[in-house]
Amino acid sequence: MKKIFIPYIIGVLVMLDSCQSRLDVSPTQTIDQNVALSASKDVEAALIGAYDGLQGANTNGDTYAGGYQYTSELLAAVTNEVRFGGTFANLQELFRKEITTINSTAEGLWMRSYLTINRTNNVLANIDKVTDAKKSAVEGGARFIRGAVYFELVRLYAKQWGDGSNTTNLGVPLVLKPTADVTDADKVPRSTVAQVYTQAIEDLTKAEELLPATNGAYATKGAAAAILARIYLQQGNYAAARDAANRVIASNRYRLVTPFGMAFNTKLNNNGGTPAEYVFSIQVNDQDGFNGMNTFFGTTIGSIPGTAGRGDIRVQPDHIALYEAGDARGAFFIKPTANTFTYKFLDRFGHVPVVRLAEMILTRAEANFRLGTAVGATPVEDINTIRTRAGLPSVTSVTLASILKERKLELAFEGHALHDIKRTGGTVGALPFNSPKLILPIPQREMDVNTQLVQNEGY
Amino acid sequence: MRQFLRMSLLVMACMSGLALRAQDTVVTGKVTTAEDGVGMPGVSISVKGTTRGANTDAEGNYRVSVPNNATLVFSFVGFTSIEEKVGARSVINVQLSVDTKTLSEIVVTGYGSQIKRDLTGNIAQVKSKDIENMPTPSVDAALQGKAAGVFVNSGSGKLGQGITVRVRGNSSISASSQPLYVVDGIPVTSGDQSNYGGETNPLADINPNDIESIEILKDASAAAIYGARAANGVVLISTKRGKAGKTNISFNYQAGVAQATRRLPFLNTEQYEKFYRQAAGYVDELDGLSPEDPSSNTQYLFGPDGFLEYYSYGTYGTPKQTDNNWQEKAFQKGPMQQIDLQLSGGNEKTKFFMSGQYLSQTGTIIGNKLERISGRLNVDHQATNWLNVGLMMSLARTDNWRLPDDNAFSNPLQMAALTPFTPFIDPNTNLPAGAPPGDVNIPLYYNPILSIDYADFVQTSYRNLTNTYAQVNLLPGLKFRSEWGLDLLNMNEEAYFQSQTVRNQSRASNGIGANYGTFVTNYNANNFFNYLKDFGRHSIDATLGMSYQQSQTKRNYVEGTQFPSDSYRKIASAAVKSDGTSTETNYRFLSYFTRVNYRFNDRYLLGASARVEGSSRFGKNSRYGFFPSVSAGWVISEENFLKNNNLISFLKLRASYGLTGNAEIGDFPQLGLFQGDAGYVGAPGQRPSQIANPDLKWESSRQVDIGIDFGILNNRINGEIDYYVKKTTDLLLEVNVPGTTGFARQFKNVGALENKGLEFVLNTQNTVGKFKWNTSFNIATNANKVTDVQGQIIEGGVRNMNRVMEGQPIGVFFTREYAGVDPNNGDALFYKNTKNPDGSIDRSTVTNSGYNSTERVVVGNPNPKFIGGITNTLSYGGIDFSIFFNGVAGNDVNFYGVGQYSSANGIYEDNQTTDQLNAWTPENRNTDVPQARYLITNGSQPSSRYIFDGSYLRLRTLSLGYTIPKNLTQRLKIDRVRVYFSAMNLATFTKYKGWDPEVNSDTFTSNFAQGNDFYTPPQPRTILFGVNIGF
Repeated sequence: MKKIFIPYIIGVLVMLDSCQSRLDVSPTQTIDQNVALSASKDVEAALIGAYDGLQGANTNGDTYAGGYQYTSELLAAVTNEVRFGGTFANLQELFRKEITTINSTAEGLWMRSYLTINRTNNVLANIDKVTDAKKSAVEGGARFIRGAVYFELVRLYAKQWGDGSNTTNLGVPLVLKPTADVTDADKVPRSTVAQVYTQAIEDLTKAEELLPATNGAYATKGAAAAILARIYLQQGNYAAARDAANRVIASNRYRLVTPFGMAFNTKLNNNGGTPAEYVFSIQVNDQDGFNGMNTFFGTTIGSIPGTAGRGDIRVQPDHIALYEAGDARGAFFIKPTANTFTYKFLDRFGHVPVVRLAEMILTRAEANFRLGTAVGATPVEDINTIRTRAGLPSVTSVTLASILKERKLELAFEGHALHDIKRTGGTVGALPFNSPKLILPIPQREMDVNTQLVQNEGY
Repeated sequence: MRQFLRMSLLVMACMSGLALRAQDTVVTGKVTTAEDGVGMPGVSISVKGTTRGANTDAEGNYRVSVPNNATLVFSFVGFTSIEEKVGARSVINVQLSVDTKTLSEIVVTGYGSQIKRDLTGNIAQVKSKDIENMPTPSVDAALQGKAAGVFVNSGSGKLGQGITVRVRGNSSISASSQPLYVVDGIPVTSGDQSNYGGETNPLADINPNDIESIEILKDASAAAIYGARAANGVVLISTKRGKAGKTNISFNYQAGVAQATRRLPFLNTEQYEKFYRQAAGYVDELDGLSPEDPSSNTQYLFGPDGFLEYYSYGTYGTPKQTDNNWQEKAFQKGPMQQIDLQLSGGNEKTKFFMSGQYLSQTGTIIGNKLERISGRLNVDHQATNWLNVGLMMSLARTDNWRLPDDNAFSNPLQMAALTPFTPFIDPNTNLPAGAPPGDVNIPLYYNPILSIDYADFVQTSYRNLTNTYAQVNLLPGLKFRSEWGLDLLNMNEEAYFQSQTVRNQSRASNGIGANYGTFVTNYNANNFFNYLKDFGRHSIDATLGMSYQQSQTKRNYVEGTQFPSDSYRKIASAAVKSDGTSTETNYRFLSYFTRVNYRFNDRYLLGASARVEGSSRFGKNSRYGFFPSVSAGWVISEENFLKNNNLISFLKLRASYGLTGNAEIGDFPQLGLFQGDAGYVGAPGQRPSQIANPDLKWESSRQVDIGIDFGILNNRINGEIDYYVKKTTDLLLEVNVPGTTGFARQFKNVGALENKGLEFVLNTQNTVGKFKWNTSFNIATNANKVTDVQGQIIEGGVRNMNRVMEGQPIGVFFTREYAGVDPNNGDALFYKNTKNPDGSIDRSTVTNSGYNSTERVVVGNPNPKFIGGITNTLSYGGIDFSIFFNGVAGNDVNFYGVGQYSSANGIYEDNQTTDQLNAWTPENRNTDVPQARYLITNGSQPSSRYIFDGSYLRLRTLSLGYTIPKNLTQRLKIDRVRVYFSAMNLATFTKYKGWDPEVNSDTFTSNFAQGNDFYTPPQPRTILFGVNIGF
């Protein structure tokens, strides 16, 4: 009787043998890196992944979804115009210009930027696998993203172009190959400011050449030219800035929307459509994306469903006083509580504008004015285009100061504040444009793991 | 090695088939008490070295079949066991006397059991009476202070939350440091599975009253048989079994109420105004503004249309002004009740244990509640004289109304930060402040009450643990046991946030609902031989077998927004299905194990064990690990020179050395992976998600343990002393890599750490006889030191203040050192701590502006230096009393999670702790609280200012019971009626200034981010009354 158990025991032992192969378990929701980029479609999906990188995921690393922009605005904020009243210590530090090397915005932006760059590098290293019909659009997209991200990094983490020697001032590390494993060679030192600008210009020039004129929600020829215009303007290369901006305007693919408010809160106003004014934006919908501008500039207005935000960045009377009477932009504020907020970012699911046509018009106006030229239009014509849309009477003459003021009011809170102060040699309160306090620290965690890095002055 | 083991198994299987003809004989007899000669029911009779046995019936009679040369062991809790060699006898009557020893107890080991006296490893045992009816939903919380070297931190007062359990210190940095939990032989799912709030604890699905004993395998010789998962210790949970004889029915009911242990004093309206006038006044002066200037900070706060007016609904400065203690609103009295019914009994062939429990516990924080219904059936059946089969099965449904994690505005305790002049109720709407249609921007932050009133998050888990076994006695002494187990954990989490919560759930403007399904299926098979034989003075106990485990976790999730109204709460009514996902992950373990224990002449003990373990989690290049151990013991008291010593009744020296592993590293850490979750508004995208490491393997822990077991005065005083050193190498570190690679971290086997400690256990019977007084005391030290992390920076916790550093205990607080206040101007000061050219440390101080120029230093350690517990049990007649203290000493707690907002010189408008009233003023220069400065940082940066001593001594439980005399109850046909009172956390002695020193915020859950307080709900203080009736 007991013997019936012998076959059972032997059966169990035989079964054990077959268990061994069962230790080879493959993941079900991820795939091996060696097969991930084998076909054209894979590389195209990797480019979408790079856009996803640019879109950001949360407030620690929200690049163009807000981080680049609000970092600029908070560093440029003076208390009589803007106040930060939130609890996030990282933003409080930016606002107070007392940044610690562990600041999570400085760290998050850095990490997310390079994560995005690695995704573009994966695309570019495998670009030969893309079918010919799509190759140039895919390469153009990846170069657009990489160039734009390097530009944002170099102007946040390094000295302003021309503040000393661009060829000795340290920029950020340049990484142009995808990471497969991590070795000591990945401890990359900082390139110079000039090298980073050169790389960004090269990428974006290539991107402008390769990208199609229309490209759905993705980067276009116009978007690449627009970022190029920004780079040249930041360098004080007004002719190149003017020409790049003019290429965007002259493409006639973008137009100013009226009234002014229709250019913002795209979900509330436009059910998620992209306004014709947007040259490039980070797309958000209720299933994907994240609007970091809304998080900190926005606030929940009980009577307007769809509004949200922490209500942290509060506009002060001195700022509102800058607008002329009748300026639609001066009325584009809301005061639901004791605090006043900009109306630009109330919309939780609104797209985040990166470049609006208005910026290109203002760039062209400024560059033309500085050069005494009238490429595309005269500075007065361009400024009046902007003023008319804001509901203001035309002017007959402009000065550099009036152009810069128009720019400040038109593009208020959209991420230009710090960079405009730096390139025009302005001040933030008592701090001169080249104060080390207006430059982000290389993140402490990065200093700790990469001995090749040199910290910024003052940290 | 693997091949060898497999061959051995086959050979043994074949050999055993050759000799299956041994004859059994039957022995009968009666067991009586030595005291009065009355028959003893329920005495367990086991055939030594087998799992065969029987129990006495109601009169004390028994009948058991035994093989040749058998020895019977008669045992009963609280009585000295007796061993009788059967020889040629067929009737054996024995008398048992009350035990004054504890050494004859049987201790469960991995894949077997052993008499405590013969142990060569270190196994702590916790019996059912120590854990039953504790008002903690999960059994691991009840272990606190009960076993030497086992550190338990319940973390918070939230019900069913994840709990930190560390056996002999923290032996990992990035992999799990929780022990392996094994219930009736099956490793069970014990890690967090939840999708909301902090971690939850799947062990809360197990009814602690079903547990007969818990064994904690602490040293390598005890644990190595669990191989690659034993490095954090192994907790073996054995459920109750039936005994032959009369059917015992036990009914227990207990009810009580819990309240949070402590409050933290915050400012009232008057104090708030005074404090913030100072804070704003300073800044106005700095800005050159008069406090009366409309653009001054003072006017912003206190002026017309100002902050106070707005947030008080206009009542500030009017007779309607109110003073509201928001913190108090977070707390409630939490009633609890628990009903238990247990039946056990059977005959010689079939024994059973059945139980059912209903538990309902309301949390001490508003909105928190836990309900559990569970049932269990354990059956053991002797099918033939050579075959035993059994089934253990439990089913539980646990509902947990959960709280968000600590770092959420909806965490009720964050109400403490709300301003005291803001009324609870919006006077315009008579609804809670912040509820629409009222102004949603009042109070200062989101009002957590809205999430209580207008939202819920319920976690419902259905848990089934099933384990069957068949045991064949192949030859005298040789048996084969096959165990097949299943652990099913099905969990549903359902959330609905009404539109009123929109300030917190920004997508809830028309309601938002989410529904998560989690299905964890865990199969396990153990097949092993056991051979137990005495040859004269030699005795051998050998085990050889295999184990296979397969686990699958599937999850799905759907989310919907845009509900027609708040009456529709299911996603069926959501116009937009806004999110959804499904995922799956698997892991498998295949192992072969063996163990041999050898005993010579009852005094020399040797043990050896080994396990070969393979796992799908390890890299291709290192799939199998080998985990051996050796141990030895010497029972000195058996030697002639001590044998009849009147003082020393028992003395044993033991030592062990072995290797164990830790494989809790996630399921695919070794692979280079892409993930397809990087879509961009509807377009599919992929991204690199992980860097490959084909060499990745388990962490290895080598542990040496030297111990002494002693008994004095006929073992009335007995105890254990152990010293251990546990060195862990090949740490699975998630190491920081340069962010410029596009990755933040990578898993590597680098680094080492060690734990060293001393454990001391002492049990005394202070008085015996009618008045009984027993004391159990344990204390343990553990010194943890990270010896090598190859320069990696590993940090976490509140603002990354916890750090892993070479030469330091894991997770030390590493930050700037606060130097107090400059008496001249109220500036916060920090020590520079920079290195001078001559190598000395610069102890000069700087103010806020120099903060960045100071060096961070180690300012605290979250790991306790000492842990311990002391239990006194007294009984006299029908009265029983027990009092249990536990304590933790030498650890620090980081209060900065709270302090950065609430003890922060009024930098924000958050309500402040009252200690801030002692801030520097020109009149109050001698203080360590810097000057109040509105919107300006003055000492509220991360620093040692917020690191406090977290030592505590706690009156953990106290119970007083009275058993009504039998002669009264038996008239009602009731065997036993006991009424009792018990209390938990009745008193806490600590210098910690926060809510509760036993804290571990669920916002931070890594091994090194320990000891953080982040508005963490304190532990409950529970008072219970109960009645226990036995039929």
